[in-house]
Amino acid sequence: MFAYIVRRILATIPVMAIVALFVFSLLYIAPGDPAAVIAGDQATPADVERIRASLGLDRPYLVRFGAWLWDILRGDLGTSIFTNLPVATMIQQRIEPTLSLMIVTLILAVSIAVPMGVVAAWRQGTWVDRAVMGFAVLGFSVPVFVVGYVLAYVFALELDWLPVQGYTPFSRGFGPWIENLILPAVALGSVYIALIARITRATMLEVLQQDYIRTAKAKGVGQRSILFMHALKNAAVPIVTVIGIGIALLIGGAVVTESVFAIPGLGRLTVDAILRRDYPVIQGVVLLFSFIYVLVNLAIDLAYTLFDPRIRY
Amino acid sequence: MALLEVENLQTHFRTPDGINRAVDGVNFHVNAGETVAIVGESGCGKSVTAMSILRLIPEPPGKIAGAIRFNGKNLLDASDKEMRAIRGNEISMIFQEPMTSLNPVLTVGRQIGETLRLHQGLSAQAAEDRAVEMLKLVGIPEPQRRVKEYPHQLSGGMRQRVMIAIALACNPKLLIADEPTTALDVTIQAQILELMRDLKHRVGAAIVLITHDLGVVAEVAERVIVMYAGRKVEEAAVGPLFRNPRHPYTQGLLGSMPKLGSSLTGEETRLAEIPGLVPSLKKKIPGCVFASRCPKVTDLCTQYAPALEEKAPGHVAACHYALREEVVAA
Repeated sequence: MFAYIVRRILATIPVMAIVALFVFSLLYIAPGDPAAVIAGDQATPADVERIRASLGLDRPYLVRFGAWLWDILRGDLGTSIFTNLPVATMIQQRIEPTLSLMIVTLILAVSIAVPMGVVAAWRQGTWVDRAVMGFAVLGFSVPVFVVGYVLAYVFALELDWLPVQGYTPFSRGFGPWIENLILPAVALGSVYIALIARITRATMLEVLQQDYIRTAKAKGVGQRSILFMHALKNAAVPIVTVIGIGIALLIGGAVVTESVFAIPGLGRLTVDAILRRDYPVIQGVVLLFSFIYVLVNLAIDLAYTLFDPRIRY
Repeated sequence: MALLEVENLQTHFRTPDGINRAVDGVNFHVNAGETVAIVGESGCGKSVTAMSILRLIPEPPGKIAGAIRFNGKNLLDASDKEMRAIRGNEISMIFQEPMTSLNPVLTVGRQIGETLRLHQGLSAQAAEDRAVEMLKLVGIPEPQRRVKEYPHQLSGGMRQRVMIAIALACNPKLLIADEPTTALDVTIQAQILELMRDLKHRVGAAIVLITHDLGVVAEVAERVIVMYAGRKVEEAAVGPLFRNPRHPYTQGLLGSMPKLGSSLTGEETRLAEIPGLVPSLKKKIPGCVFASRCPKVTDLCTQYAPALEEKAPGHVAACHYALREEVVAA
């Protein structure tokens, strides 16, 4: 088990290297020039060229990539072109709101979606099932920003139950913190809920056909215990897998959600950095996100052993 | 009063192309402590009969009618809660597939203990202690260690022993065993049968044994019910049934059993078989259900269904041509 964890963490290194190359190349190919942005509208081509040289952007592709990679290996994500702050510091300042949003969304989504899927499978073919599936289709097809604006309009502007936008740090207390996160979490979570509920339903339908469910019934086990004790644990592996894969949805959605609800997190940082072609920041954030994704999926693989005794590493 | 009385049991399934009459008007009873075998080939309604007793048939598409009286109480009128209190407690069941009938993600001890906690209100610790005793009772070595293991760590024979332990944990009055040995190796089959017989004497439970293996029937049953196409076609004590089968279907079943040495001495080296298949149960059959495969069929058989008649004391059969005792004697 321990050897497996070490091996998996070591295996993330080549993955991260490929991600790094990919991110770097993408930005290299993409149009736009930070030097021109810094220089402004009035600058002469010579000025732009001078700024570009001072940023090191005139060097060849491989040299730039090599220098960047070397810095990362030493634990240095570089310095923002615009703020002159270290990228690591900028990420540190912005990481709390994003992590808060993602964790709250994750908990909310799993605790809503899994029971929804279980009940839909149990009541297959009834109006409950159809309602859940209808909601799932809706959750898939309506974009995050639409859900976000509708929620903000209804629950914040009209009903005045929750704040419209913004973020309160956790250090100022759980109440204000969660108040600001509920609407963004619901908006961000709707796709995620739809995904998890569908997989839960499909897997549960299959598990409920199994012989051991019939055995449990023959033992006199009650309906709730059959669903949540005997069946759900058997359905856990695919559900947990989809929860892990869905983290990618959360990362992508967080960027949009943070813009809609004016949350000063990594998503906003990314959008601003892309608009200004702030390469070191973009690269740093993307690298961080992919690292989180890889780690979450490692945790998911390890979680399999909790649910299925037949899986051992 | 018999422990279990099944009266005009009809279990029908609604299917896209008509109603499947899996069990169509079956009557039988089981006395306390008695072993009754229900035999017949695949698709004759044996398993559906067994599942109907515990009401494990999903409704819909299934529909159970008639009466199933257990200790005088009609189980078809019982509420879900009353049924749950009976299942695994007073009536328990062993299934055919030991490889898939145990939950793969729960320990053996937990699965045995669950019925005890549910029906006898035992604490988790007491249930586990009792599970160890049950494992010892069904002959599993190192029960202390096994109780913490998962089904995939056990062999097929051991899993069926665990199923038996689960079924017997609450000392049921009736045990329904649906082909308990079919999926096992021949040597293991003999062990499991031996175990069931031994435990039956200790626990004193009545057994309804569903099987298509007549060798098993001869070994453990006291009374035999022969089913065909959702109906009972013959019933008798095990001795008379094997010595003097009345219904052509039973005769065919017995004729298709290999006999030791028969291929060496007899002229027939080929095993006898009953030609054809069980008819579709989606159409009402006007005459005798076995008419389409019966070697003695006449016009009478295809037009009028024969009633179950007592051909000899305690020996009933549904056939126009099966001889009555007096006639045989005369």
